Amino acid sequence: MVVTTPAIEKPASPEELAQRLKDAAGQKLAVVPVGGGRASGMGEALERCDVLLHTTRLDRVIEHSQADMVVSVEAGITLEALQQELAKAGQFLPLDPFNSPGHTIGGLLATGWTGPLRLRYGSPRDFLIGIRVALPDGKLATGGGRVVKNVSGYDMMKLHYGALGSLGVIVAASFKVFPIPMHDITVTSAGGWNAATHALSAPVAPSALELDSKGRVLARYTGSRDAVSRVIDELGWKAADRSVWDDHARSAPATWARIAVPREELRRAVQALPSGAEWWASPGVGVAHWAVESGPPSVIDMRSRVEAAGGTLVMLDAPDDFMREVGAWGKPPSTLGIQHRLKQAFDPDRVLNPGRFVV
Amino acid sequence: MVPDSVRAELRSIVGSQAVIDAPNDLRIFERDGSIEGAVPDAVVLPSSTEQVAGVVKVAARNRIPVVPRGAGTGLSGGAVTIRGGIALQLTRMRRILEIDPVAQIATVEPGVVNQELSLVAAQHGLFYAPDPSSQKACTIGGNAAENSGGPHCLYYGVTTNHVLGMEVVLADGSVHWVSGDAPDRVGLDLCGVLVGSEGTLCAITKIKVRLLRIPPSIATMLAAFPSIETASQAVSAVIGHGIVPAALEMMDRVTVGAVEAHYHAGYPTDAGAVLLVEVDGIAESTRELMGSIGRILSENQGYAMREAQTPAERELLWAGRKGAIGALGRIKPNYYLHDGVVPRSRLPQVLSAVGEIGVHYKLPVANVFHAGDGNLHPNILFDLRDKEVLPQVEAAGEEMLRAVVELGGALSGEHGIGLEKSAFMPWTYTEDDLDAMHRVKDVFDAGGTLNPGKIFPDPTRKAVHLAGRTGLAVEAKWW
Repeated sequence: MVVTTPAIEKPASPEELAQRLKDAAGQKLAVVPVGGGRASGMGEALERCDVLLHTTRLDRVIEHSQADMVVSVEAGITLEALQQELAKAGQFLPLDPFNSPGHTIGGLLATGWTGPLRLRYGSPRDFLIGIRVALPDGKLATGGGRVVKNVSGYDMMKLHYGALGSLGVIVAASFKVFPIPMHDITVTSAGGWNAATHALSAPVAPSALELDSKGRVLARYTGSRDAVSRVIDELGWKAADRSVWDDHARSAPATWARIAVPREELRRAVQALPSGAEWWASPGVGVAHWAVESGPPSVIDMRSRVEAAGGTLVMLDAPDDFMREVGAWGKPPSTLGIQHRLKQAFDPDRVLNPGRFVV
Repeated sequence: MVPDSVRAELRSIVGSQAVIDAPNDLRIFERDGSIEGAVPDAVVLPSSTEQVAGVVKVAARNRIPVVPRGAGTGLSGGAVTIRGGIALQLTRMRRILEIDPVAQIATVEPGVVNQELSLVAAQHGLFYAPDPSSQKACTIGGNAAENSGGPHCLYYGVTTNHVLGMEVVLADGSVHWVSGDAPDRVGLDLCGVLVGSEGTLCAITKIKVRLLRIPPSIATMLAAFPSIETASQAVSAVIGHGIVPAALEMMDRVTVGAVEAHYHAGYPTDAGAVLLVEVDGIAESTRELMGSIGRILSENQGYAMREAQTPAERELLWAGRKGAIGALGRIKPNYYLHDGVVPRSRLPQVLSAVGEIGVHYKLPVANVFHAGDGNLHPNILFDLRDKEVLPQVEAAGEEMLRAVVELGGALSGEHGIGLEKSAFMPWTYTEDDLDAMHRVKDVFDAGGTLNPGKIFPDPTRKAVHLAGRTGLAVEAKWW
């Protein structure tokens, strides 16, 4: 990165943010959107960084309709603040990302970070129903809406979800929310992969199931009392306090990578990690996180194995030199040409996060 | 128009048997399940990705429109060749290429019929969740292009939540895989953008979908209500208790009458509205949930509640629901159907507006819809032989959609915008919103050969006639 001190902008409304973005883009200044800063290590080193555009003052709940189970928020609200609001109505957003607390909703959408509950609820890709994005030309473009089912126009939510702010800055979003489960029980086992596989193939699937390199399995069962009790009895695992999930969500090693493979390949992938490596995984999803303590060659080797299995290894954070050596993303997608054209259509001067994302 | 030289080229790609261009034969491809039709200049029936790519390439070079088409059951004119050109009929590509029971993934060609996939997957204890009412005929390719829904999408999600990856042919004839078996990808989510793009961005040649395990226990209940309002209230109450059933469907009196006459499923014909509720899971769970639901429904004036005791009874209850629109043919031969979505709590208001609009235009309206999602399906019933009636039908439909939008809703929950709702897009999207979507269109299909005249308002088409009966001047803004 070129060493300059970037300007810091903290607009107080989506309109103001769009204007700041337009002003910067007009001068071809490089703009880096910032939410909670929890994923600031993600991506390649920036080519340029002139303006840090913070969303943190866009922190309103725009509308929460309990009866409709839909919430619209500004992008800078933290996940915790949103959950607190939803809990008053007995609802929640099923999102429990790592390196918590402090993620903003906009940041979570831009990065695509997820957590253990993805097993039951999917990722925000599945429950994001509306999005509003500021574009470098100063326009505010909305996609989707505030209803749970909607096929009017292109799915602009998918275009921006996980795009790391490279096509626009997310300023607001609407979600389908969920009732807080009537029963929510966590159990644990030291049985490693076999225990995890056993629990995942039972007739009642857990809502979250995590396995770590020490062989510890954490499983969370939610739903009706009778179903939850039956499965807990059958498993015979030890009860655990629900706070283990909060501890788990705080996981954020200094250097770490996300491995995503077809789920039946995950065990083999994880077994290929350097011996003694620390990791945790969602075997039912096909995602593992690796606390990298070995050198860059181990990451490069691991990535080639993962990519051969049809997956990806993405660095979530690493020292600059390390990141430069291994690269953040790995093999570019086969549709890179189209992706470049989309970038060109939305951010022709490459002012948004230049060099950080795949396009 | 398709010049002779192009016809010859098309025949050389797919074989002469697979090009249809005799005027009488072409008429079969004039329509889908919606009202407006247009005869294609040629129908091409490719049997491989390479052939699709070849056809698309020839069309692009000659600037001839190409409209991908599955079973033609779509309800928004998505498969209608409104600007002429080639109907790209994909139903010869109908192989299930692979079912991986361990990974729970199926890879299929676009012409595979939705229900056929579930039937084959059932041999492995699996099923494909999105279940449009036309599932006996509609294709997975069409489902992916339209991002189709269905009754069970309340719990399981719509098509886009189940498509893991696709092989697509872009407007220049290039072939690409987007996404795949692994959960996270690197780069932009092109697969997510292409699902639901209604044939305007690509032709779909293979689809990888997620299969789910068939739940060991399914409980299905029918409940009668004195009115649509009380039934809507009951829907809100069930969801408000934190219960999300697998399906939660409503039928009004008109629909129940037609369905019962046709299927003899035991629907209570005296009821103002009927709810069909289904939960699934293990037996302990479905028993407990159905018990709670039963209590909530009776607290909300539900009566004549009946739980299916056998799989055959369950099938019959669903046959009534899924065949409802066909059964409406007993009342009038034609129907016009919109599928606007409102926030669930607005159901009573929007249904009363729909009722008033029907009365005003003196057209019978039958409601049968996904109540749990707030996804309406008002069927305006008419007889197309009555030449005077069509403008009335269209005007009534527009007003119903307008009422949906005024209550904070969306133009379509699962049928797509296609031809018939493109003019209404500015009701819910600003110029800037539509401009952003246009940029996507231009990236994928700068020449505009793929399914032209769909989704975006077309200034060359008739203006929207809105009698303005609903009257409320509401800004169609989300934020």
